[in-house]
Amino acid sequence: MSKKDEARLPAGRQGHIHPISSLIREANQIFGRMGFTFAQGPLLESEWYNFDALNVPKDHPARDMQDTFFIKDEPGYVLRTHTSPVQVRYMEEQIKSGNPPPYRVIVPGKVFRNEATDMTHEAEFYQLEGLAVGEDITLANLKGTIERFLRELFKGANVEVRFRPSFFPFVEPGVEVDMRIVGDNVPEKLKDRWIEMMGAGMVHPSVLKNAGVDPSKYQGFAFGVGLDRIALLRWGIDDIRLMHSADLRFINQF
Amino acid sequence: MKISREWLEKYFDSPLPEAQKIADALTFHAFEIESVEGDILDVKVTPNRGHDCLSHRGLAKEISAILDIPIKSDPIRQSVSLEPKTDQAKITIADGKLCPRFTGAVIKGVKVAPSPEWLKKSLEAVGQKSINNIVDATNFVMLDIGQPLHAFDIGKLKQEKGIALHIRLAKSGEKLMGLDDKEYELKPSMLVIDDANTGTVASIAGIKGGKPTGIDETTIDVFLEAANWDGVTIRKASQTLKLRTDASDRFQQVISSELAAYGTTIAAKLITELAGGEAVGYVDEYPSPQSPWTVEVTAGKVNKVLGTSLSTDDIANAFTRLALPFEEIKGVFTVSVPFERLDLTIPEDLIEEVGRIVGYDKITSVELSPFPKKPEINVDFNAAEKMRKELMAKGYSEVYTSVFAEKGERAVANKVGGEKPYLRTTLVDGLKEALERNSRNKDLLGLKEVKIFEIGTVWKGGKEKILVGTADSKGASEKELSASASDSYDQYPTSTLERYEPFSKYPFIVRDIAMWVPAGTHPDEVIKTIFDSAGKTCRFIELFDKFEKDRKISFAFHIVFQSYEKTLTDEEANAAMEKVYAAVKKEGWEVR
Repeated sequence: MSKKDEARLPAGRQGHIHPISSLIREANQIFGRMGFTFAQGPLLESEWYNFDALNVPKDHPARDMQDTFFIKDEPGYVLRTHTSPVQVRYMEEQIKSGNPPPYRVIVPGKVFRNEATDMTHEAEFYQLEGLAVGEDITLANLKGTIERFLRELFKGANVEVRFRPSFFPFVEPGVEVDMRIVGDNVPEKLKDRWIEMMGAGMVHPSVLKNAGVDPSKYQGFAFGVGLDRIALLRWGIDDIRLMHSADLRFINQF
Repeated sequence: MKISREWLEKYFDSPLPEAQKIADALTFHAFEIESVEGDILDVKVTPNRGHDCLSHRGLAKEISAILDIPIKSDPIRQSVSLEPKTDQAKITIADGKLCPRFTGAVIKGVKVAPSPEWLKKSLEAVGQKSINNIVDATNFVMLDIGQPLHAFDIGKLKQEKGIALHIRLAKSGEKLMGLDDKEYELKPSMLVIDDANTGTVASIAGIKGGKPTGIDETTIDVFLEAANWDGVTIRKASQTLKLRTDASDRFQQVISSELAAYGTTIAAKLITELAGGEAVGYVDEYPSPQSPWTVEVTAGKVNKVLGTSLSTDDIANAFTRLALPFEEIKGVFTVSVPFERLDLTIPEDLIEEVGRIVGYDKITSVELSPFPKKPEINVDFNAAEKMRKELMAKGYSEVYTSVFAEKGERAVANKVGGEKPYLRTTLVDGLKEALERNSRNKDLLGLKEVKIFEIGTVWKGGKEKILVGTADSKGASEKELSASASDSYDQYPTSTLERYEPFSKYPFIVRDIAMWVPAGTHPDEVIKTIFDSAGKTCRFIELFDKFEKDRKISFAFHIVFQSYEKTLTDEEANAAMEKVYAAVKKEGWEVR
């Protein structure tokens, strides 16, 4: 008899947490131990922060990489397509308050893509941005940080991380990050398979400059990982649309 | 871009490895591969490399660098000459910023015919239709070196002292029948090539040629065009016309003006080889010449960014493999960037070149050193976490609902499908709807009452706010999440679920059973008996009533039946209940 055929005991009186909230909580704990601060920004964002400040100029083919929701009768505003605008917002705020780098921030939050939805695509989903800026932050640190995050998230499993070259206008060099979990106690779907996890790279000097940080003195890494995707992999969820279904047959398992 | 292994091989002296090996090499050192089918690779060229890699030549160079095998000869490193000039074609350019260069050749006396087999095969292998030897030659050169070309039938252009082409923006109301037999209405933001002797549009610059001046079997003299166009103008025109072509894809990513001369000479040579005739002369209007440039990077900076300890030799080797000419003096590399590599402008660009050619697998992970400052506490997140704890303790489960609504103050302008374009002003509507849906599953969920909450964003009164909303049998309400300062976050528990189990989408049936059992009987014992006898559609058993009388206990249970395969019938539930009654009786318990 498989587990799903077992009758479940009545739920206790305690309510249940949404899996994404649980992941954000856990990510904040893991990154908190590495010195990262939790930051946030608006969902309805200006094109400046969402694109221009991130080195994605107007009318550039790179803007096609994301399908954007524009706001009616408010030219220059969009629903943010990624959590990266908060990189610039955070650094700008720190510089204005007289706090030079080093910075370490994570930005978990909702992002939007104007796409038709299916089992693996949602117009609304969650990303977690990471940013570390200092005098000596390297691509090797990016690898080390992502490895530690995934290792702790997958409960000490043997997680391997690899980089592939890629392009995102706000990083240079830019990489795609794959993950592989090896070992015995790993769900079949994840075991020994390379899985694309996130885009990342070294913060483009123009982005630092746009935020008021001196790129000749400071450098850093940034990454953006899909939380829905992590949830799907981690718990074997078969349909991303469950996240916004508000269906307790789903939620109350967590 | 689709590339063929056979086509690539003409760049090398020795055979290339099999297609999958080439795919792996590109994947880990250059570009993602969409697919490998036989000897054809579909390469996802990133927007920063549209300048040079939307071509077999560009990708052959990449493979040469990655696999460290030299290429035989690079067609765009040869000397190129657009001589002799001809006075049989006169080119004028209204705005040199929009058309930095216009080159061309007058080719006389061709014979239009089907292409030879090798050319047909080459084009068809990468998904291009063969049309005739002239058009195929232009497409072949584009796919080979990345320069889009266009061929006009000189006989269909008006000739005075030869032909005259004028590069200008379109006028309102101008139309053109394209080579694809579709009529395009042009806007003043679009660039056109105009037959200056008649003042009519002959082609939509950089996007599509015109049918009336196109090549057909009657063509004898050809004007071959290889120009350079402003990327933004081409991009906007292509978007407005909803017309993406291989040419517009390349121009919108911006290619070097220097490439045009190679396009013209290589294509003119190929055309005369395939179709006979003679290139009698060339034109070259170059109002905005591209200047050479250099980029400098130090070995120290390369290692500081990558976190590596590469030697100057390692770095020099990467540049050599990429055929990037450089000088190195005491660890300072000055790279003279080849004209087509418009992506290389800052030191970081060179660092990426070194990193990917050396291989990112050579970068050893290093954890960050301890952070010298204490992380700040986000007051909103802290407040949200406290709110979650409080509400969950009261039995509320957390839901997320969509921010899109049927009404609101602000709306998105371009939603796919167009439904619910507004941004919500309240959480209450979504919560009420979710409450209603979940209430139908109350028994299945084993809940006496469904209670849900959401912490989410709304747009109200011109502001973006975070609200916390709840819904239960008493109704739904919401309030603003009030910030909560703290020195540190409380360590709240995270979900301990290991694997999610998909739930059945079919309706469920609830049956009740009540019975007397001897005092001291634990309900779990009864639940086990019921479960073991009720069959595999028994989803859930819940004790809902219990009282004691005369040393006996009365238990009452809800039993929930549901199948993963179909809608259960009453008969099937009854049959399962019969088995439960029998099992209960066998235990000596008395069904009431």
